[in-house]
Amino acid sequence: MDNAQRAMLDLRAMDELASMDSPYHRLSPLSKFLMTVVYIFITASFHKYDLTGLLFMVIFPLIGYQFAFIPVGTCFSKLRNVIPLVAAVGLLNPFFDRAPLFRIGSVNVSGGVVSMITLMLKGVFCLMASFLLMATTQIDDLCRALRKIHCPKMITSLILLTFRYTSVLLDQVSEMTQAYSLRAPGQKGIHISAWGTFLGQLLLRTMDRAEDLYEAMMLRGFSGEFHYAAGRQSSRLSWLAALITCGAVITARYINIPAFITSLFF
Amino acid sequence: MHMADALLAPAVAATMYVASSTAAGVSIHKLRKEEKLGLEDNSKRLPTMAVTAALVFAGQMINYTIPGTGSSGHLCGGMMLSAILGPFAGFLSMIAVLVIQCLFFADGGLMALGANVWNMAFYGCFVGYFLIYRPIMNSDLFASRGRDAANRIKLILASILGCVVTLQLGAGSVAVETTLSGISELPFGTFLGLMLPIHLAIGLVEGLITAAVLVFLYEARPELLREVKTEGEASGKLSLKSTLAVLAVIVVLVGGGLSLYASSNPDGLEWALFGNAEEGYAENMGLDEDDFGVSSDISDKAGEIQEATSFLPDYAFANDEENPLGTTVSGIVGSLIVACLAAVICFIGGFFRRKNAGRAA
Amino acid sequence: MLRFDNVTFSYPGSAPALEGVTFEVNDGEKVGLIGANGAGKSTLMKCVPGLLEASGTITVGGLAVNRENLAEVRRKVGYVLQDPDSQMFMPKVIDDMIFGPVNYGLSREEAEAGADRVLEDLGITRLRDRYNHRISGGEKRMAAIATVLAMGPDIMLMDEPSSSLDPRNRRALINTIKGLDRTMLIASHDLDMILDICSRVILLDGGKLIADGKAADILRDRELLEAHSLELPLSLSR
Repeated sequence: MDNAQRAMLDLRAMDELASMDSPYHRLSPLSKFLMTVVYIFITASFHKYDLTGLLFMVIFPLIGYQFAFIPVGTCFSKLRNVIPLVAAVGLLNPFFDRAPLFRIGSVNVSGGVVSMITLMLKGVFCLMASFLLMATTQIDDLCRALRKIHCPKMITSLILLTFRYTSVLLDQVSEMTQAYSLRAPGQKGIHISAWGTFLGQLLLRTMDRAEDLYEAMMLRGFSGEFHYAAGRQSSRLSWLAALITCGAVITARYINIPAFITSLFF
Repeated sequence: MHMADALLAPAVAATMYVASSTAAGVSIHKLRKEEKLGLEDNSKRLPTMAVTAALVFAGQMINYTIPGTGSSGHLCGGMMLSAILGPFAGFLSMIAVLVIQCLFFADGGLMALGANVWNMAFYGCFVGYFLIYRPIMNSDLFASRGRDAANRIKLILASILGCVVTLQLGAGSVAVETTLSGISELPFGTFLGLMLPIHLAIGLVEGLITAAVLVFLYEARPELLREVKTEGEASGKLSLKSTLAVLAVIVVLVGGGLSLYASSNPDGLEWALFGNAEEGYAENMGLDEDDFGVSSDISDKAGEIQEATSFLPDYAFANDEENPLGTTVSGIVGSLIVACLAAVICFIGGFFRRKNAGRAA
Repeated sequence: MLRFDNVTFSYPGSAPALEGVTFEVNDGEKVGLIGANGAGKSTLMKCVPGLLEASGTITVGGLAVNRENLAEVRRKVGYVLQDPDSQMFMPKVIDDMIFGPVNYGLSREEAEAGADRVLEDLGITRLRDRYNHRISGGEKRMAAIATVLAMGPDIMLMDEPSSSLDPRNRRALINTIKGLDRTMLIASHDLDMILDICSRVILLDGGKLIADGKAADILRDRELLEAHSLELPLSLSR
C-alpha cells in the first residue's frame, strides 16, 4: 500500500469517528476546540523535571475518550508522525544532562532521563488531545467555530476547499504511483528522471480542474461567501464542560495532585 | 520537519502564532487589494489555491526519507506554490496544507502550528520568492544562451537555491525554537550542526524535484508561472550585478549556517545567541518564565548542575525536599495513583461502551 | 425555450470549435447532443450559461445571453458537469445543494427545505449529510444532479451523465432523468441512453451541425453515424 492510500484510509477513519455520536461529539465545536487548546498549552508548559505533575495530565484526555466512546488506543497509530523528531531531540537529553536528580534505590536517575521522559509524554498527551478533538468534530463544524472567533473567511473557505480536494488528489496520486510501479518493477519510488513529468502532469490536470471548479461555482452564483447547512445541535452543557475542564487543567498545573494525595499519607 | 507540540514552550509557540498570523493577515490584505485593483479575482483564485494546496499535500505522499536521521523529507511546496500562485496566495495555500496535516494526520501539533507555518510556509513563500525566485527570474543571467535556455537554467537555479536556503532557514528555526523553549539539553550549536546538514541534503533533493516540475511546466504551459518572461515582454529589471549581490547574501547565509557545524566553539555562539536573545524575549513578552515552566537553563546551567543534587527546582513535593528518598517514594506512589486512576477510567468507559454497543446491536 | 442562432466560437489560436450552429429546443423537450470527441458538444453547452462567449445569439427563455444578464441566465440554466468531483466542492452533499439557492437570495432554512424535497424526489435522502468525498461514483452523479435541481432551473444541461457508471447505476440514472419534467440538452457518447431518454437528437461534427431530427431516425442511420465516427446503438445494431 502506498503512502497516498494510507493517507486516504487515515482520512476515512477520522471521518468515521467524527460522524459517530456521543456526549463528547455533541459538545459545541468551539468549546471543544478551546478546551483542547488550553489543555495542550498547559501540558506543554510543565517543567521538564516535573514528571509526576505531568503524569496526572493523562487523566483529562482519558476521561474525554470515555465520553466520546472511543478506545484510547485508536490515537496511537498517529504517533508515527509525532515521535521521530521528539524522540530525536529527547533521546539526546540523557547524554547532555547527567546531573542526578533523584535516586531509586541505589540507581541515580539523571535530569536528562527525566526530561526525556517528560518530553515524550508531552508529545503523547498533546497528540491524544488533538486527536480527540478531530475524532469528535467534523472539519466543517470546526471551521464554523473558527469563524466565530474571527478567523478570516478566506482561510476557513480555503481549508474546506483544500480538504475537499485532498482525497480527490490522493486518489490520483495513488493511481499514478501504481501505474508507474507496474511499469517499473523493483523501483522503490519515482525515479528522479520522471519527477518533473509525474508531478507536472498532475499539476496541469489539477489546474484544469481548478477551472472547472471555478465554473461550477460561478454557475451557481458564487459571490464570495460560502454557506453551510446547519450542523449538529450542540449540547447545552458544552460551556459548562469546557469551563470545568479548563479549571481542572489549570488547577492540575499549579497543584501537583499525585504529590498532594501522597502527602496525606507520608 | 514538522514540529510537535512537545518541542515548544507555550510562550515560544504563542510568539510564532503571532508572527505567522501577521504574515497571513498581510497576505489576505494584499490579495484583497489586488482584487480591488482589478488585477485578479479572488473568487477565481480560491479554487486554484485550494486544488494546488491539495496537490502539494498529495505530492508529499511521495516522500523520500533519509535513513538514520529520524527526519523525513517532505516536498515543502512553498517554492512551487509561490512560483505558481505568487507569494501571498502561496503562503495561504501552505497554511491550508499544514492545517490539514496537523488536524487529520497529527503531523505537527495544534500548538506548534504557528511555528510550523513560519518554518515551512513563510520562508518558502516569502524569502524564497522575493529574495531568490523573483530576482533570478528577472535577471539577465544566461541571456547569451537564448531566452528559452536561459529561462530553464534560471528556473533550475532558483528552485534549487530557493529550496536549499528556505529549508536551511526552516531547520535553523526549529533549532532556535526548541532551544528557546528549553526543551533540549543539546547545545544550540550541536543542534544546528545536526539539523542543517540533514536539511541541506533534503533541500537539494527537494530543489531538484521542484526544478523538474517547474521546467516541465515552463515547457507545457509557461503562462502558469510567475515572473517568467516569454515573447514580447520587456527584459529584466535587475542587473547581473544586483542578482550576484543577492546570491552573495544567500551564500553567506547558508555558509554561515553550515559553518556552525564546524565551529570549534559552539558554546560561545550559543551564549551569544541566547544570553541576549532569551532575556530580551522574556522581557518583550512580559512573561515570567516560571509561569510557563520554561527555565532558561542555558544561563542557569552552571549553577543548576551543582544545585540539582541538593535542590530540585519546581519539583516541590509537600514533604521534605532534602530527603531524596522521601521524594522518590512519594513520586513513585503518585505515579502509581495516576496509573490506577487511568486504568479505572478506561475500565469504566470500556464497560459503558460495550453496554452501548450491546444496546445498538 | 433555448435557441441557438448562428453560434460560432473558436478557442484562441485554433480553428473554430463551433461554426454557425442553429437550432431550437422546445419547452419540455429532451434533446440529445451527439458527436465524436472534439465535435464541439461541451463547447456548445458551455456557451449557454456564458462560460464561453460565442458570437451569434443564444436565447434562454426569451432572454438573449450576454454579459449583463449572466446572473439571470445562470439561474434558469442548470449545468451538470462531466466530473462530479469538480461540481461538488463543499464538504457535504447538503452544503453543496444549498450553495446555489442561498447565493440567489434564499435563506438557509428555505434552501435546506428545498434541498430536502429534491433529495426525496430523487430518492437519495440518505446522502443528505454524507461527505462528498465519501460517497460512491454512482451516488456522486446523483448528488451532482441534485445540486443542480435544487436551484430549480428551467433548462438542464448535462455533460456525459452516464460515463463511468455501472449498469445498475446507469439504469437508475436514466430512470431519474426520464422522470424529470424539464427541458434538457444531454451531451453523451452513450447512444443507448440517448435513445432511451431523448426524443430528438442533434449530431455535431467539427463544430458544425450535421443532423437534427428524431432520435429513432438518426440513431438508426448507420451510414450517417459511421461517417461521423459513431456507431449504431447496441440495442439497434441487431
